[in-house]
Amino acid sequence: MTTDSLVAVVDDDQSVRESLPDLLREFGFRSQAFSSAEEFLASECVSETRCLILDIAMPGMSGPDLQRELMLRRQQIPIVFITAHGDETVRPRVLEQGAVECLIKPFSDTALREAVNTAFG
Amino acid sequence: MDTELSRVVDAIPGLVWTAPPDGHIDFLNQRWCEYTNLGLGESYGRGWQRVVHPEDLSGLLERWRSILASGRAGEMEARLRRFDGEYRWFLFRASPMADASGHVVKWCGTSTDIEDRKRVEEALSAPWWLQPSTREQHFRSVADNIEALGALVTPAGQVELVNRQALEYFGVTLEELRGRAIADIVHPDDVPPVRAAWRQAVEAGRPYDVEERLRRADGVYRWFHTRGFPLRDTQGHILLWYLIKRDVDDLKRGETLLAGEKRLLEMVAGCHSMSEILEAICRLVESTASGCYCSVVLIDPSGMRVEHGAAPSLPASYMSACIGRPVNIDAGPCGMAAYLNEQVIAADLTTDIRWAEWRPMALAHGLQSCWSTPITSAAGKALGSFALYYSQPRTPTPLHQSLIEQFTHIARIAIERRLSEETLSKVRSELAHVARVQSLGVLTASIAHEVNQPLAGIITNASTCLRMLAAGPPNIDGARETARRTIRDGNRASEVIARLRALFSKKDATAESVNLNEATQEVIALSLSELQRARVTVRTEFADDLPTVTGDRVQLQQVILNLVLNASDAMRSVDDRPRKLVIGTERDGHDLVRLTVQDTGVGFDPQKQDKLFEAFYSTKSGGMGIGLSVSRSIIAGHRGRIWAAHNNGPGATFGFSIPCRSDCSSDMDDVSAIHTSGVTGDVHVMRKVG
Repeated sequence: MTTDSLVAVVDDDQSVRESLPDLLREFGFRSQAFSSAEEFLASECVSETRCLILDIAMPGMSGPDLQRELMLRRQQIPIVFITAHGDETVRPRVLEQGAVECLIKPFSDTALREAVNTAFG
Repeated sequence: MDTELSRVVDAIPGLVWTAPPDGHIDFLNQRWCEYTNLGLGESYGRGWQRVVHPEDLSGLLERWRSILASGRAGEMEARLRRFDGEYRWFLFRASPMADASGHVVKWCGTSTDIEDRKRVEEALSAPWWLQPSTREQHFRSVADNIEALGALVTPAGQVELVNRQALEYFGVTLEELRGRAIADIVHPDDVPPVRAAWRQAVEAGRPYDVEERLRRADGVYRWFHTRGFPLRDTQGHILLWYLIKRDVDDLKRGETLLAGEKRLLEMVAGCHSMSEILEAICRLVESTASGCYCSVVLIDPSGMRVEHGAAPSLPASYMSACIGRPVNIDAGPCGMAAYLNEQVIAADLTTDIRWAEWRPMALAHGLQSCWSTPITSAAGKALGSFALYYSQPRTPTPLHQSLIEQFTHIARIAIERRLSEETLSKVRSELAHVARVQSLGVLTASIAHEVNQPLAGIITNASTCLRMLAAGPPNIDGARETARRTIRDGNRASEVIARLRALFSKKDATAESVNLNEATQEVIALSLSELQRARVTVRTEFADDLPTVTGDRVQLQQVILNLVLNASDAMRSVDDRPRKLVIGTERDGHDLVRLTVQDTGVGFDPQKQDKLFEAFYSTKSGGMGIGLSVSRSIIAGHRGRIWAAHNNGPGATFGFSIPCRSDCSSDMDDVSAIHTSGVTGDVHVMRKVG
């Protein structure tokens, strides 16, 4: 893992967009936040993103929609899903679809770090 | 050279030499031979070079060549070996002699012994600690101007010098400090690790780094971060240790507090009970502001008396004497703070004249001061109060006030959450008198979503804050910003709870004027995240000129919520067409208004249409069949009708029609009566079935 790898955060919730990048930077990563899947896809960060922290439920394009879109574009970015719907059935479902991890909000800093480390293999 | 001149040259107190323009020495005076014990024959040409110190030779020759090339006078320094083998420093000076046309024909030079001057220079450039005469002066000029305690200590541990700050901190003279044992200075718990670290550092000669509590002149221990650096003599032996002790007590306290706050918020997020959270708040404040005791009292539902909240360290006999006291200005400071909705400070209970009955009881329990602060809801209403007690007369410091502010805030979140949970459970029982009602289960998920979003921000921000504070050096600005965000997200969470409370705060059915469009809009806002999760899009078709209805707003909203969630569930398995929900309102004839909820779901079995609104009939695998039957009884209570119909396309439409206000404004009490009997009747049916 290189410490200046880019970790992108896509979430429609503003407090997540403000807080997560700071914590990721404390971990030593570069981080950039986007308020929607569309905004992320339109950015120049897609190709250099090494890990994507992605909210599941968003207005417009959802997290899983973005996952499929990236697959179609052959962009193999490890994805850590995050969701505030604390439903036990969500996690196995998204892991089955190829996500690295699925964190239920609120999650601890160590859980996040482990998930990102897993993403970096 | 004539004899006379030769004698003069030999008598000069220095080494004299000459060389032709090529630089090879062709003359040396007698002093050279005496100093070096070399014969002239051995010295001419390059022979003289054998007495130059090997380390200096190449530099000297290089310099000599550049002087020759320049044709101008120049100087060089090098060590020359004396007859007895000792090298001494010499200054070589060379100057050219030119002919009439300006060409250099000869170089004349002297070499002077500068050993003594070199010694002085070296002595002056040696490290300050090697010079006992100026050591103290140097140490003071540096150490007295730093914001830390500084000391020079011998490897045996004996204090040699300390700075002014250290003497002030310990409140002693240097002589007294030298006489003290380590256990008189360092906190007893820290003595063994400090000793071990010191021994290790001295043995390895490596920098020393420990955290220790040091006793201040007034007996208070404060945390210090101590670093030690070895000062060595020219042979590399450690002569002294330079110790810097930086006060990190506030920093440590800040870290402990933040960690505690994070733990508390995790308790809130982790659904711990309110009393557990309130107890944890008390314990955290007690451990932070040493010597204090904390209590939280709540205002009972009547708003008249105080109830127990938490008081883990106060005597049970004291608390039981406080509980049940009225909320007013005379009964005690806690009731008074809640009553006035402002902070009450009793700095010295022995001289205070308020609370004639409570005060002797508090004094009898050894309490001499009490500061009570109201815990206020988002809407500004007092929920209870948070009190700090001391067994001495005291007034709050700014640190106390910031602690109080921080923790009354968390107490408020814990209490409001409990209140909203209580309200929720009351609504549940009112709705169906059974433990679980599915629509509210779904609603709970929706509430959890709304609250978990800001909690995620809170926990992430607090984690980041801790990391920023723990960094070396701590990122104070970053930590401050993340702490600010933590507070903002905390407020956001409590606003969500306040909104929910507003929706569920009513207990009894009431008859009021209700705008069905607005009521529906609120229901949609509340269930939006649930609908979003179910990938359902919502469209509203509200009539602009809809008359108001008379009824119970919350009960009607529960019916609408129920229809919306049912419609969403009916579309759960639909993947081949959009999951669309259309909610509409319109006039129905001249005296009714109608609300419809249309979905694109699986519809219902026409044969079972009659059963849809019966209790415990459900088309859903997880459903209990309560929602629609309760909805029907609520609508019946409003003298309306609820119905279901198939769409022309896929899906179904559910709706209800109730009379608008102009038609029933005369008998509002009647509506309430009918409504109540409707619910009772329905309960009766369900009890019979269950």
